[in-house]
Amino acid sequence: MKAIKILERVLVSIPIMFGVAIIVFLFMRLTPGDPVDIMMGRGGAVSAGEIEKLRSEFNLDKPLHVQLWLFLTDAVKGDLGYSYVQKTPVTDLIRERLPATIELALTALLFALIISFPIGILSAVWQNSLLDRFSMAGAFMGISMPGFWMGIILILVFAVKLHWLPVQGRIDFDAQLAAGTGFFVLDSLLSGNRAALISSLKHLVLPGFTLGAGIAAILARVLRSSMLETLRSDYVVLARSKGSPEWNVVLKHALRNALIPTVTVIGLQVGVLLGGNMIIETVFSWPGLGRMVVAAIFQRDFPLVQGSVMVYAITFVLANLIVDILYTYLNPKIAL
Amino acid sequence: METTPPTVQPTNRLIHLWSIRLKLWLRDTKEFLRELILHPTALIGGIIVILYILAALFAPQITSYDPTKGNLRDRLKPPAFIEGGMKEYPLGTDAQGRDLLTRIIYGARISLIVGVVSVGISVLIGSILGALSGFYRGKLDAIISRFADLLMAFPFLIFAIGVMAFIGSGVTNLIAALIFKGWVEFFRVVRGEMMSEKTEEYVEAAKVTGRGNLAIIVREIFPNIVQSIFVLATLRIGEMIIMEASLSFLGLGIPPHIPAWGSMVASGRDFMLVAWWVSTIPGIALMILVLSINLFAEGLRDILDPRLKTIA
Amino acid sequence: MFSIKRVVLTLVLILGVVLAGCTPAATPTEVEAPAAEPAEVEAPAAEVEEPAVEAEEPAAEAEAPPATEPTTLIVAFSSAPTTVDPADHRDRNTESLIRNMFDGLVTRDATSGVHNELAESFNWADDTTLEVTLRQGVLFHNGVEMTADDVVYTFERVIKENMIEYPEAHTSPRKGLIAQLESIEKTGDYAVTMHFSAPYPTAMQMLVHQQVIPMGYMQEVGTQGLLDAPIGAGPFKFISAQPGYTEVVMEKFADYYGGAPDLEPVGPACVDTVVFRVIPEASTRVAALLAGEVDIIQNVPAELVSTLEQVPGIQIKTAVGTSPQWMEMNVNQAPFDDVKVRQAMNYAVDKQLLVDAIFGGKAEVLSGPLSPYNAFVNKSLQPYAYDPDKALALLAEAGWTDSDGDTFLDKGGTKFSFIIDTEEDFRAISEAVAGQLQAIGIEASVRIWEYSVIKPLLQAGERQAFLNNWGDSAFDPVGHMEAKWHGYVEGTTYGRGNFSGYNNERVNELIKLGEVTVDIAERQTIYDEAQQIIYDEVPAIFLVLPDVVSAAAADVQNWEPAADGRFNMHDVCIGQ
Repeated sequence: MKAIKILERVLVSIPIMFGVAIIVFLFMRLTPGDPVDIMMGRGGAVSAGEIEKLRSEFNLDKPLHVQLWLFLTDAVKGDLGYSYVQKTPVTDLIRERLPATIELALTALLFALIISFPIGILSAVWQNSLLDRFSMAGAFMGISMPGFWMGIILILVFAVKLHWLPVQGRIDFDAQLAAGTGFFVLDSLLSGNRAALISSLKHLVLPGFTLGAGIAAILARVLRSSMLETLRSDYVVLARSKGSPEWNVVLKHALRNALIPTVTVIGLQVGVLLGGNMIIETVFSWPGLGRMVVAAIFQRDFPLVQGSVMVYAITFVLANLIVDILYTYLNPKIAL
Repeated sequence: METTPPTVQPTNRLIHLWSIRLKLWLRDTKEFLRELILHPTALIGGIIVILYILAALFAPQITSYDPTKGNLRDRLKPPAFIEGGMKEYPLGTDAQGRDLLTRIIYGARISLIVGVVSVGISVLIGSILGALSGFYRGKLDAIISRFADLLMAFPFLIFAIGVMAFIGSGVTNLIAALIFKGWVEFFRVVRGEMMSEKTEEYVEAAKVTGRGNLAIIVREIFPNIVQSIFVLATLRIGEMIIMEASLSFLGLGIPPHIPAWGSMVASGRDFMLVAWWVSTIPGIALMILVLSINLFAEGLRDILDPRLKTIA
Repeated sequence: MFSIKRVVLTLVLILGVVLAGCTPAATPTEVEAPAAEPAEVEAPAAEVEEPAVEAEEPAAEAEAPPATEPTTLIVAFSSAPTTVDPADHRDRNTESLIRNMFDGLVTRDATSGVHNELAESFNWADDTTLEVTLRQGVLFHNGVEMTADDVVYTFERVIKENMIEYPEAHTSPRKGLIAQLESIEKTGDYAVTMHFSAPYPTAMQMLVHQQVIPMGYMQEVGTQGLLDAPIGAGPFKFISAQPGYTEVVMEKFADYYGGAPDLEPVGPACVDTVVFRVIPEASTRVAALLAGEVDIIQNVPAELVSTLEQVPGIQIKTAVGTSPQWMEMNVNQAPFDDVKVRQAMNYAVDKQLLVDAIFGGKAEVLSGPLSPYNAFVNKSLQPYAYDPDKALALLAEAGWTDSDGDTFLDKGGTKFSFIIDTEEDFRAISEAVAGQLQAIGIEASVRIWEYSVIKPLLQAGERQAFLNNWGDSAFDPVGHMEAKWHGYVEGTTYGRGNFSGYNNERVNELIKLGEVTVDIAERQTIYDEAQQIIYDEVPAIFLVLPDVVSAAAADVQNWEPAADGRFNMHDVCIGQ
């Protein structure tokens, strides 16, 4: 029964993906600005013939609906075309960049969870304590700061002044990490390369923290308020009266129920994670998808933007699907 | 309202009705204010927000400088309280030699306008479409809901970046880009509430008395959900202001001469090492406003609508 | 900063304590070392074949320390190279990267012009025929010797249609950079002859931008193979690249023929490894240099120059720029259709103040349409002086006065108000120009665009003013004059960058004449006249020529950034 519901949800997202593809396509094509200008650069001599040539090479001379049809049929086949600027298949470019972005996003999520869970739980248990007040004030600050600004401040403090952590990049170039999955932490673990592991972990700290901070703040607040609610609920009172140890009450009874709203919020925050990475990757020169898309948007590199935004949208839809499924396990009362 | 004496004239009757409403409203407000005082963080947040609004409204009275005119010879002067600062520029100057305090005060206008207008119109569009969809259902609902689903598939910032790249930078464009997706959330909330409230008894009762659908939506259902919308909207204002900053960071936000905090923070980032104040002071101004809005919104939520807890 | 720093610090410290229990690897306790020396720990594994190279080095580089440690140079670019194929790009950073791995027939020095590289000598048989004798004994990175076949193949790949087969067959975008080259033939094992369609006075300057690739290797692996493992005859050989060329690692090519014999030092490169890394954010780039993570950074923001100069251990290098900046005014639309108004605009802007304030002194005021370093600049032209009174007088003559006392000039009830269109890169100078114009009562504001968005509007004459630059990396009026100051002729190269709508018959004629005149004195007369006309009719506010500013760590030696932005790492050493 559950499997069928899940399948149903997956099927429902297919037309959404098509809609996304069409919207992205139209947006990019109706955007003013001729990609051929960008391909040719400025200065030097360019002949009209060369421009025509480029135009037909990328189907830019065909009517819009033909371009759209070509794009959709190719996309179904897994062909997202060639980047105008890099002259490389878009799928290859995305595949190369995706691990970096996922690694950063997961790190940020991990940071967010590690920070928010103890704070959220303890703030609820010791409501109105100094810890509660301070951490909630911190949480508010976390969501009230633009991410790029926080990133720059962290760079100045921890990299430039203190020299603790690197300013930018994913790994030291001389870490001698053999090519593998593209997830550097995983690759260095698999190959037992200790230097590469340390290097890649150090590079993850600042961008991961910057990206995760805002989410941590939101999660901590949600967790705190739902913990407060569950801690007051009947079954927790009952468990306490039965003489269950306090930590058991908190973790087993209260937390489990407080997790339901928290998981929903995590699902919503995946969007923040994906959008935020465009900014954070730019600040920290993180060679991921976000930085590539930002550059591609400015270069009017249509195929690359289309392909990448599709990947973002798919990831987002998938993440929310996973959250929905998780949800049913946490709270058996809810059907999908 | 049922206390209305049956004998009065129609006009008097109307006045009477409104006076009762006013009294009720005053009572609610008083009660609300009393609760607000018991909620110190919300109160402080509210007061700071009001101060910001006042500063924005009376900017020309507070400062004598023109926020767009600078003196290149006085560029990058530090704040007065730091060595090398000048009394004329209490918070220093930016790279064009413009007074930072002036730009921050005028910047409050733009940031508040971006936040309030984009959220306000989003609420309006979202509520109307949500009410229609939720109340009438049918084809209209299906179309709007599918479109909303589609927009939901894009992370907000990515969507806004795309739209800004498409329509170009500028205050109006920025607000338009934020509304383009901002309405969806309100649409969903209102639609959901509509669908559940529609089956409530008081709505059924109103139907029986023969009142029109529009009257039912506006008079009966809306008052019951307006508080949740209000709380949600307040929370979103802060987010929109941060969004403006992020877009400006990428060069897609607000044109440079217009004083807006986001673009001030963004364009000052290159000077962080030599003139930290150019980026940091507007950043702090922005942070305090967003913080205050959020504190106020959270207080509101506690007072008005404890149900909404999980919507962050 | 204090408060923020402290708050952030406290926050992070608290978090650090929380984290300490969970992720031991991430806590940065034993990393006290002052960074900067990266290559110590992991060296052994990959450097097996190095000793042989090491042995030759002292001979080539007398002042180099007797280093046993391999040296690494990390260079930070502001934008990513787009390819490693010398024939498939139109991008300066790409060329900068490529020219470290590939050499051309000639190269250009930071100061002294064009020098032979792979070519030994040139001989003009007539105005349109150039005979080239190639250097012998030049090896590509795969050990194969360069011959005339490689050179013929290289140029044919550029000038013939559809020669680049990957990912889809297309013609080289660099064809336009050597458009007059009609054909090239092999006339001996080490001799080729080039045939041009017309006299080509700038041929040598343009040859700098074409790099030679090995024919045999290309026939074996194709373009895709070249992209995976580029092979050239340059001082460094390709080792690896990150996706999107966000990082490219190169190693010294031990059998390098030595480079241009006129340019010291000659011989293999000094450093063992060069890493080109992309850091798009200027503030991050500077932070990386200060933190010792990179040795050289490109495009230092002008605002940071004076500060970086005070930081011990940082050297700032400036090179003559090749991208003059103007604010072009639409000469076909009021108010700029009046030459007096345009002259007034030139008098109203204090260019020296722009140089001092916006560029930290690292720029020069333009006297006219050409860069002062252009080989054919009209030396008799003087920059329009800063004279706001004269500007107001000229404006008054043109009918613009403040008749209603609102501090803004007006004419016939219309306020003098316009928008300066520009790109993000020119934001600061545009705002400053707008500010100066505001000071004399003109309501000028700035709008930021994407170049590709505004270009069609400019060419259609729909905008009023555009502040931008136009490169002349060849230091020759060709590539520049016909683009900016020739009337716009759609579908041709003439006026492709003409955003003022300026169209003067005599100037058009002179520009075309200059392109095919070979005699230097004659060319000078032609261009002098053209520049004088443009100077008098002022279709633009002639602003500044900014220097190219780069910065490096203290131990980087013998490094000179080139005027065209090229970063040749061949000469650079790292030492105390």
